Amino acid sequence: MNRHTKLAFMVAPFLAIFGYIGADLYKENQAQETKLIQLVTEGHCDVINQNCILSSGEFKINVSDKGGITEINSTFPLDSATLFLVDKSDKMTPYPLGMQKSPYYWQSPTHLRNVASGKGDSYKLRLIAKIKGGQYISEFYTQTVK
Amino acid sequence: MENKEAYWQENLRLIFICLAIWFAVSFGLGLLLVEPLNAIRLGGYKLGFWFAQQGSIYSFLGLIFWYGAKMNKLDQKYHSEG
Repeated sequence: MNRHTKLAFMVAPFLAIFGYIGADLYKENQAQETKLIQLVTEGHCDVINQNCILSSGEFKINVSDKGGITEINSTFPLDSATLFLVDKSDKMTPYPLGMQKSPYYWQSPTHLRNVASGKGDSYKLRLIAKIKGGQYISEFYTQTVK
Repeated sequence: MENKEAYWQENLRLIFICLAIWFAVSFGLGLLLVEPLNAIRLGGYKLGFWFAQQGSIYSFLGLIFWYGAKMNKLDQKYHSEG
């Protein structure tokens, strides 16, 4: 191994560190850009019976309602979440969800149970979940099966 | 003096070539072009991911030995003392 190779081996770790810092800055900058990603339901959605999953790749949100409290549980921590109940005339009632024990769990009392608790009842919902500059949106129907 | 200047210029040229390849492999293939490269598979791994994880390191090692060999030739060409 000649002196130039030895010198190159000594310089290489510094280049690797600069590369690591540069890549980190680039990816962080990219993550800050607002992205809009649509979530779709996985199979049948029944929020009242705790059977409604929205997904986009590895990101999933479970939407459920227990005693008038509508809760969402996500696979990644959220910055904020808002649920909209949309009636037949397309009028929306927004429900900003509050964080529970961790940013994976969000909930709020809603009137969903009053309008969609009967068997066969269907209701339109919209959800906006924000994660570090990215927005996950979804428009879906819940239909109570039992 | 003139010889030293020419030696240094050729050395600088080699360093810039190495840095350009270092940038192209690590940032170009491992970050900027990662999505299109991920459509290609190499031994079961996505190519963009492979470059970011291993390919760039192999390239850096290759660059070190290539630079060493080129500098050796440069030393012989300019009869540098070493």
